[in-house]
Parts: sequence; C-alpha cells; structure tokens
Amino acid sequence: MKGLLSSMLPVGVPIPHSQDEVEYSFAMEYHGPPVTYDLPRAVPIDIKRIPTAAVVASSSLSDKLSLPVVQPLLAPDPSGKKHPKELIQGSRKIVSPTSVITFDQRDRDGPDCGLSGEFSSSGTLAFSNGHDQSCELSDVIDDGSGTLAFSNGHDQSCELSDVIDDGSGTLAFSNGHDQSCELSDVIDDGSGTLGLSNGHEGSPQLSGGIGVSGSLGCCNNRDESHESSCSSGALRPSGDCKESLDFLNDINPPDWGSTESIQSSHFLSSEISSSKGDDFNNDPDCHAKRTSIVTFLDAESNDSVNEEFGPGEGQVIQEQRGPGTKTKKGACYRCSKGNRLTDKEACIVCNKKYCSNCVLRAMGSMPEGRKCVTCIGLPIDESKRESLGRCSRMLKRLLNELEVQQIMNAEKSCETNQLQADLIYVNGQRLCPEELVLLQSCPNPPKKLKPGRYWYDKVSGFWGREGQKPCKIISPNLNVGGTISANASNGNTKVFINNREITKSELRMLQLVGVQCAGNPHFWVNADGSYQEEGQKNIKGHIWGKAGTKLVCAVLSLPVPSKTTNPCGEEVNNLVNRPVPYYLEHRALQKILLTGYSGCGTSTIFKQAKILYNKPIPFSEDERQDIKLMIQSNVYKYLGILLEGCERFEEESLDEMKKKQSLDQFDDVGNVKENEEKTIYSIGPRLKAFSDWLLKVMVSGNLEAIFPAATREYAPLVEELWKDTAIQATYKRRSELQMLPVVASYFLEHVVDISRTDYEPTNEDILHAEGITSSNGLACMDFSFPKSANDDGSETADQNDSLLRYQLIRVHAKGLGENCKWLEMFEDIRLVIFCVSLSDYDQFCDDGSGSFVNKMLASKRLFESIVSHPTFDQMEFLLILNKFDLLEEKIEQVPLTRCEWFDDFNPVRSHHSSNRNSNSVNSNPSLSQLAFYYIAIKFKRLFNSLTGRKLYVSLANAWEPATVDEALRYAKEILKWDEERENLSMNELSNYSTEASSFSH
Amino acid sequence: MSVAELKERHIAATATVNALRERLKQKRTLLLDTDVAGYARSQGRTPVSFGPTDLVCCRILQGHTGKVYSLDWTPEKNRIVSASQDGRLIVWNALTSQKTHAIKLPCAWVMTCAFSPNGQSVACGGLDSVCSIFNLNSPVDKDGNLPVSRMLSGHKGYVSSCQYVPDEDTHLITSSGDQTCVLWDVTTGQRLSVFGGEFPSGHTADVLSVSINGSNSKMFVSGSCDATARLWDTRIASRAVRTFHGHEGDVNTVKFFPDGQRFGTGSGDGTCRLFDMRTGHQLQVYHQQHAAADGEVPHVTSIAFSISGRLLFAAYSNNDCYVWDTLVAKVVLNLRSLQNSHEGRITCLGLSADGSALCTGSWDKNLKIWAFGGDRREI
Repeated sequence: MKGLLSSMLPVGVPIPHSQDEVEYSFAMEYHGPPVTYDLPRAVPIDIKRIPTAAVVASSSLSDKLSLPVVQPLLAPDPSGKKHPKELIQGSRKIVSPTSVITFDQRDRDGPDCGLSGEFSSSGTLAFSNGHDQSCELSDVIDDGSGTLAFSNGHDQSCELSDVIDDGSGTLAFSNGHDQSCELSDVIDDGSGTLGLSNGHEGSPQLSGGIGVSGSLGCCNNRDESHESSCSSGALRPSGDCKESLDFLNDINPPDWGSTESIQSSHFLSSEISSSKGDDFNNDPDCHAKRTSIVTFLDAESNDSVNEEFGPGEGQVIQEQRGPGTKTKKGACYRCSKGNRLTDKEACIVCNKKYCSNCVLRAMGSMPEGRKCVTCIGLPIDESKRESLGRCSRMLKRLLNELEVQQIMNAEKSCETNQLQADLIYVNGQRLCPEELVLLQSCPNPPKKLKPGRYWYDKVSGFWGREGQKPCKIISPNLNVGGTISANASNGNTKVFINNREITKSELRMLQLVGVQCAGNPHFWVNADGSYQEEGQKNIKGHIWGKAGTKLVCAVLSLPVPSKTTNPCGEEVNNLVNRPVPYYLEHRALQKILLTGYSGCGTSTIFKQAKILYNKPIPFSEDERQDIKLMIQSNVYKYLGILLEGCERFEEESLDEMKKKQSLDQFDDVGNVKENEEKTIYSIGPRLKAFSDWLLKVMVSGNLEAIFPAATREYAPLVEELWKDTAIQATYKRRSELQMLPVVASYFLEHVVDISRTDYEPTNEDILHAEGITSSNGLACMDFSFPKSANDDGSETADQNDSLLRYQLIRVHAKGLGENCKWLEMFEDIRLVIFCVSLSDYDQFCDDGSGSFVNKMLASKRLFESIVSHPTFDQMEFLLILNKFDLLEEKIEQVPLTRCEWFDDFNPVRSHHSSNRNSNSVNSNPSLSQLAFYYIAIKFKRLFNSLTGRKLYVSLANAWEPATVDEALRYAKEILKWDEERENLSMNELSNYSTEASSFSH
Repeated sequence: MSVAELKERHIAATATVNALRERLKQKRTLLLDTDVAGYARSQGRTPVSFGPTDLVCCRILQGHTGKVYSLDWTPEKNRIVSASQDGRLIVWNALTSQKTHAIKLPCAWVMTCAFSPNGQSVACGGLDSVCSIFNLNSPVDKDGNLPVSRMLSGHKGYVSSCQYVPDEDTHLITSSGDQTCVLWDVTTGQRLSVFGGEFPSGHTADVLSVSINGSNSKMFVSGSCDATARLWDTRIASRAVRTFHGHEGDVNTVKFFPDGQRFGTGSGDGTCRLFDMRTGHQLQVYHQQHAAADGEVPHVTSIAFSISGRLLFAAYSNNDCYVWDTLVAKVVLNLRSLQNSHEGRITCLGLSADGSALCTGSWDKNLKIWAFGGDRREI
C-alpha cells in the first residue's frame, strides 16, 4: 500500500503512516527548505480504500461526444465487502456504464448532449446544468479537486491525461466509474421506482473511494452525529443520478430534469438552507454555479429526495414515482425508518414527522420553533396552536434545557406563529393586525382565539361565535370589527340586547334573573350589567347584581363577567402603559431620530420630551443619580473655569498696579508695600490649595473620577470658595470668560446646594444640565402623545392613533462616527429630526484640524451629509430651529450676515422701521422672525437641491415645554401624512414658503 | 508668547513632523526589497487551491431579526455569541445550531460582542457608549430577560469593539468613538488604563477595532478612522508602542496573525494589509482590482486568519468574501460564489479556536458556519 501511495505522490511528499496521524496543516509551509518544483496539490487519500484504475483506449462512441472509457479496477478493500459484486455488475457491460447510459438516453431524447453532462456531473459533483456542462466539468478539473470529474465531451484526451498525471485525479477517475457502475445497476433495475435497497447497497461501495467523502469529514468533525462520513457524501450523488434517471425514463424535457435534480440536490444539501425553491426555478444559471457537491445528509436520506421538494414539484414527482417510494405510515419523513411507536417530532406547519436522528437536520436552528427548514416563514397549522410551546420528550433528550427553552420561546413569541388577523372576522368584518393586537392585549381578552367568525357586542362586552350564544364577556368598548348585526347570534326570541336578537338560553337566563321580558323589549345593557330599555333613560336594574345570576349562567353555560373587568372603557384602547409582546413592538413603534450638531440643544429637547410625556416619573432613580453626578462634576468644572479666570484677572490687575506703582513710585513710596501682593482677585491660602488641586485634576482630565467622593469632602470648601469675594468679583466679569457656557450661571447661583451630598436635581436642573448621560451616548425613550385638549374631540375616534407608540432616539452627531458611519444602523427610522441652533450664526468652533469654522456652516455640513446618506434615501426630515430666544436677543446686535451662508439676508423693512415700535407682530414680523423664515428657506432650498423633496421646519425654544410639544406633535403629523400622502395637497405644509416671498434675493 | 506666535510654531512643527514622516516612509520603501508575495513567488510557492468542497457551509444559524453586526466564539470552540440590530445577543450552540440564550439589550444599537475566556459571560457595546457584561448563569428577571451584571461606563463615544484579554476573565479591552481604547477591570467596573485620548500619540479619530496578541496578551493593536493602526502595551498606557501608516481609509478591522508577530488590517480603502509588529514594516497589501461601474471601492468590513495564517478571510461591503492566500497574495476563493452563501453583506468573521470552522455573520440576518472540507481539517 505504501508503495502504491509513493508512486502516486510526487517525490518529497512524506507518506502518511496512518490516517489518523495525517494533519495537513499549511503551517508546514513555513518550515523546511524551499522546493524548486511545484508542490503537488494532492488530495489526501484514504489509503485503505484506494481503487486503482487502468485506462482503456477511449472508444469513440459518437462523433459529437466521445467519452473516455475507463474500466475500474478495484483495489482489495477490506471495508467494502460488496465491491466484488458491484464490480461484476459493472463489468457486465462491455463499455463504460456511463457512456452506455448516456447514449441510450441520447438516442431516446434526441440530440441533447446536456444529459450526459448532467449525468456525469450528478455523479460527480451534482453540477449538472443541461447546457454548458462541459465547461463546468473542465472547471472542476481545473479546480484541482479532481475528486470525481470525468468524461468531458470535447478535448477529452487532454483532460484525461491531466487527470491521470495527478494521483488524486486518477482516483477520481475510477471513482467516477465506480459511480457509474452503480448507476448501471440502477438502470438495470429499471424504471422510476428505484428501490431503496438498491441505493443502500450501492452506497457503501460508492463511498469506498470517493474523495468527496473526505470533504465531508469536516461536517462530521463539527458534528456529533452518527453518520459515517463516507456514506453521506457518496450517497447523495447516487440519489441525484436516480433523480435524473427518472426524468429520463419519463421522457421529460431534459432541461427540466436537470433543474429538478438540482433542486432536489439543493434541498438535500441544504436542509439548513433558507432559500426557497422558487428562486432556483427562476434562476437556473445561479444554481448551476451554486450547487456543489457537499451534502450533510445521512446515508438513509436517499429517498427523502422525493419528500423534500417544495410542495408543488414534490407532488408531481411523487405521482410519477408511484407508490413504491412513499413513506410508510408512521415512519420518519426523512429516513423512512421507525414506526408509529418511535418518538417523533412533527413540523407545526406541514406536520411532517421526523425521528430523533433527523429532526435537528430537518429543522435546522428552529428560529420559529419546530418547523422544517422549508416551512420557516409560513403560518402554522391552526390545529397545532394548542401545542405551541409544549415541548416533547424527544427534544428534551436531544437538546439541553436552555436550548429547548429558547425554541419554545421562539415558537410562542415569533410573529409568524401568531394568529393571522385576516382569518378572524368580528361582526362580519375582517380584522386588521392592529385590531387583533388590541383584542388580544385588552385586559380581558377572548381565550384561545381561533380563526373564525365572531360577533362582539361593544357596549356590554359579550363575545361569541357567529350564530351561537355568547361564550365570553371580554373587555367592552374595543374598537374592533364592524357593527353588530341583529342576527349575529342567530337568536329567534324577538328580544334584543344592544341590537342583537338574543338566543333562547339567554332569554331563559334573563327570565330566571327576573328581568321583565314581556313584549319583545329592546334592552341596552352596559358593561357593568346595568340595563335599560331602548329609548328610556332610567336604568332598570343590574343583571349581575343578583346572587343567583351567576349560578343560572353556569347552568345555562352562559358567560359571566370576570372579576378583573375594567369598568372604565376609556383606558382600554390605550396601549401605552401595557407591556407589549416583543413581536408586536416593531409594528407599533414609530422611530424618530433626533440629532444635530453639538450644542444645538437636542439633549434639552429630549429631556423636555421626557418631562412632557413620561408624566409620573420622567427620570428613573438611576438616571437622576447619573445626572446628579454630571451636574456636580460640571459645577466643579465651572468653578475651575472661574478660578482660572480669577488667576488671570489677578495677574492683570497686578500688572496694572505695577504700572500704576511705577508711575506713582515717586509720590508715595510707603503705601506700595502694603498693596503689593493683594488685589480684589486674590484668594486665601487654604482656598488657594483647593483651587490648585481642582485645576490640577481638571488638567489631568479625570474630573469624573473624583465623584462622588469629592462632594463629601469638599462641599464646605466649595461653599467658602463661592462666597469668597475674589470669586464673586470674577463671576461678575463672567462674560469675559469664553469657556464658561451659558448655563453655568444657572448652576453657579446654586453651587452651595448642588455641591451637597444630599442634593437632588429638580427637573429644571436636569433640563439645564449639559447632556443626558455622562457618557453622552445614544439615548432613547418610548412615548405616546397624551390627548391634549385641542385634539380631544376630533381624534377620539381615531383608533390607530392610540396604538401608535413613538420612540425618540437622540444621538450626538459625534456618536454617529466619522462621516456618519453608523447611520446605517438607523434604517428603520421613520423620521429624522435635525436640530439647528439659530444662535449659531456668529459662533465658531474648532473643526478638529485646528481651523475655526462657523457653527452654522458646520451644522449645515452635517445636515448635508445626513440628508444625502444612502440609508436615509426617501426619508422624511423635520428641521427644528432651536434657541429662538437667543436669536431674538442677539439679532439686533449681531447681523445675521455674519455667517457667510446668510450674506444675502436683506429683509425689506425699511419702510416699517419708522413705526417699528408701535406696530403689531402680526402685520409686521420682527427681525428675528424674518431671520427665522429666512434660515428656514435656506435649509429648505438646500434640502430640495439635495433630495428634490420637501423639508418640514418647526420653530422651538427648548426651554419652553410648549414649543417642544408643538414640534413633536408636528413630527407626529408628518408621520401620519406620510402614510396618507396621496390625499395631501402640498399647500397645507408650506405656510413658510408664502412668507418667504417677502425676501429679496 | 502670543497665541498667534504659538499657532505659527505649531504649524511649523506639524510641517516638520509631516516632512519627517515622509522621509521615514521613503526610507522604509527603500529598505523594503520585496513583499511577501514577491518572495513567495521567487521561492516557487503557488496559491492554495480550493476545490468546491474544501470550504462548505454546514450550519445556518437563524433567529436574528436584524442585521448581524458581530460574533465571537468561545475558546472551547462550540459556542458563538452574536449581536444584531434587533437588539439581541444570541448565544448559539454551534454543534446543534440551537440558541441557548437570547439576551434583550437595553440599547438596541449594538456593534460588538465578545465571549469571556471561561465562557460564562458575554460582553457587548454599541452606540450607548457603554460596555455591558452579562453573566450567562444569572437568573432571568420576570420578563424573561437576562439582567446586565456590569456596566462599564466611561467612554465618551460609541463602543466599537471589545475583546477579553485571553485567559483573564476580569480584563477586557474596548475601543471607542472617543478616540481611545480602555482596559477595564470587569469585576470592579473601573478603568485600569486609557490608551490615547489626553495622551499624545493616541489615535486622532474614532477607534474602530482592537485585537489582542494571542501569544503575548500584554500587546494589542487598534485600528482607527485616522487610517492608522497602533500597537499598544497594556503596561504603558501613555503612548503607543508603534504607529502603522499605510492605509488610505478608515482601518475598519485589525486582527493579529496567529503567530503573534504580525497583524492584518482591513480598511475602507478596499485593501487588507499585513504589518510586521517588530519592524513596523508593511509586509503585504491584499488588493483586488474591482471594476465597479461607479468607481466605488468596496470596504473591507472584517477579516480573520486561518489557524496557520496561510489564509486570510476578508469580507467586503459588496457582499464578497475573499479567501486570500497570505503568502502569494492571491484570492483563492470567494465565499459569495459558494453554495448557500450569504445574501447580504458579511459584517463579521470568526474562526473557532481550533481552526476547524469559520463563522460569518451577515446583514441577511443569518450566521453561517463554514467547515474546511477534504482532509484539510484546518488550514
């Protein structure tokens, strides 16, 4: 054996001593002397199973297609006992079995050479596409895999010699013939009803030398399962061959045949694949490429070729095959083994049953619970709804507890497994998904809802199947389905409750409870059981008030209201405060992204929104703690800035004094020494030490690290420092300190309180604090708009509105990364709110490269890059122009044209200026308003030039809750308009553009 | 000294630095007589040949409902954690392809995840600027969610990447959009060292990726939007050991070569490069000419080395996933052309600890496990 091997391997390649020791690590390439010749690309060989092949002179069987004929010579094989027999069968044919088959078929099917190719390829690599098979094959050979490539139509001799030169190639060759041997067997047996047994017999023989089998080692390696590597690889090709044979025998169009066989192989090989069969039908080119040799099937999978087709084709083929290949009743669908008594798991969609060996392969990773891979994404069999989430013993045995738990969770909670809304009719009207959500998430939902037709009495909450008496009293006042019809419960008593003719048993109940039912009355029953006659005002009594009612109901099997019934109907339609199942979350949630350049006030808007819409507890305890620390460290920072300023002022005044002194020197020598080192900005030595320490900490950059410990230690010192005259004097000159932010004064005024350990930030404090969290990362909040006074009347009927939850996501511009790299994470956003600070037009910031840029221009640049980001193609944008109050303050002093982008701001107001002080705002907008309109137009034009669409603009002053509320409600409107766009006239939105006409350009 | 004067001097100094850098680059190119591929060719090396069966998809991990952004294997090779845009971390059993944990995250915008060396906990980070640690053994709360066992907060920007220090369950290194990398003590939640940031010689833009040297866990390398990769010693936080220039775009991903002497980078300029840690030289560029109509170069999103280092797996933003022969710098396989390949961009790659399998995560919401075929159990 060794000699044989060494003759096949080139010189210099070490011969593996035993299969187990072989480790073909490419790391070896780093060691050893460089070789002067090409290293052979030998596919390692299983020594025990090497069949050798002798080449027979190729007999030209056809002009078109001359196939090499190789008579397989099998090496003595200790493992494969069946070889001799197979060999005999194979050599019964005079020529190579492959060619025989091929030409037989060719004769029958006419001049389509695709078939032979298909044959060989299915035998070899499951390549097989009717056309261009030759090229494919040569590809295979070029790839050097050499596993099973054989018999190419044209230029066969060359290929042949190639293959022969290569050791592994030869192997491959003979393998090919091995394969075909088996094929011939199959053909001898004839017809489409290929016995299972045959396939099985063939398989070990086949597996004998096939290089492919080795390739599958990987999966076995990865795989705890039982299958032997050899058989798994070997069998599949044979299965494929049979497949194509079938088609030949049925004289199907060959192309079809090949597609089918590919499909089958595809399904076979990809019991874990999610691809749909349809794709493959439409795209034959694609699978020609994609189909490769590898499968991960068990040896027994031979016959699952039939079963694993997509629904349509599968049936067709099964019919063709006849009864012979049908699975036994009670056997596993994949391996056809076992009987009724063996444990099996059924697919919850198609009810195929799999034994424990096959279930994991057939169902893959079960993202939607126990479904075959091909059934993923399909709604479940309704009769199996009961068993959702109930695990069988078999799964428990196969998988660990955590895995089972995850599968069951997925099964219960994944969206496709939920009840289909369009299968449920309430009062004759098909439900939409939102209505179903409402129905199922109400406090008192109908139990075990099944597809069907139901009636629902919205006033009293009675619920029943159409044509039947009520079976349940659910929450009333749900906005689902249509209006109830009189014959909903198919009653014939002429007594009506809430416009429904009641059934006999209900009437009995009413009579037993003592309700007067004479004269066919029309009752009006409320959810709490109080009833009145139609058209009358006075309540006649309570049905549920009497003790015996429930007993009577029980006897007549009528429903009684549950204890948890929520009597007030108003809250029912409100989903906000209720936990929503995960699968519903994304449907009901409208995501809004809030972003803008740094310092534009997005964090204030976000916090304001929290205070506005998270009414009872806007900030959790953790958040408050976080913000507290942030405020405290910020206050220390502000103090540090003050101290720095203080030092600067001290130096300046000392300089000045010195100058003065030098002038006064001659007049007054005596006084100089007393004043020498003291100015109004000097601080005492103890405070000096503290301030030095503080400045040092600030410079080192870990101010946060000293909290909260600092508050305990230094609170008294801070107090002392703040009250120090030097600091106060500095504070008075705070406008000269560039570093000090505007909000600093708000906190510095309260610095004594804030620096205490027991300080609790108020909402106002939180609003003023810089940022939301200390990390300044992404922040998001879920909210819904509470019904405000003005839309009370018009929108109560809008039931979808109450279902809508919004998520406001605030991201710092820096948090999106360089060039907004991470915007792609926000593809499910519905609306982007971009915030711009109106007061930025005269401010400058460092753009990172050392040069200063106008903040408004920086904002514009960010806006451009976000708007034109591919992720936000066709996205709606709302621009919030923030800090209007600051603009008002500033605009009179600093002209808007300070920013070069606004250099053509030239409001026509010369003729108004004379009576500016007296006129009303309406007729004559103030300069700041004009500036706002102007900026809005600027951005709109920019947006339009970038996207060709309209930009929505809103004005806000983040300190004022009302303006933020207005802006966010505007956002809500935009989302709504977006949905009903076609009904919308563009005029509604453009109230700003009319204003714009007053500008001259 | 006035501000203007200072500025002038600063500009002058910057110019000098750039000139010096240029000279250094020139000197380097002079010294570089060959690259790996040239040498390998001169030695008669030929590319690894890949048959159609040599790398095959053997498992598909389905269950995420959003784009998969990150994955990590346990050292003991049979479990994978993956992070997705659906706001969940999923822990998979790679052998059965089943989920063992599905962790709902407090912040859905997750960008990275990592398995601890002992396999007991997972870490993740994202746009919330926090690195969250979940202990897989802790009991679930009433909603069935696994509680966060530790929040590592302190970054001022998104957490782009995190990796546990090998064999130390208590130490973790993160990289962040705030231009720093941080070494954390997981048990206390404290920052042990900050690399970059205040200190000079740190990155000057968002750090996107870190990789810790497998053979010397004191060294790690980081890749950043400033188009450089930097080598750090965890014992010396104050400065980078070495800065590696060469890329012309963001360095999206870095990965140490298995021998710990080199590392690979993948960049927005569409190339992968191999750098030598000790000499600071670039050893090889892995670049494939793309004939894209719009001239857009596909970015490298993620890279991984095979266990011997002979193969470099590189995923690109155009859904390609090339297998490079690191020696001859030739593409030997494109995962996209294989059966069962991903339908979306591959965002993350990872090799199991024993090198026998490759896991890929993609925008098509699936993860796939590829195993080496033939008798090449590992390459």
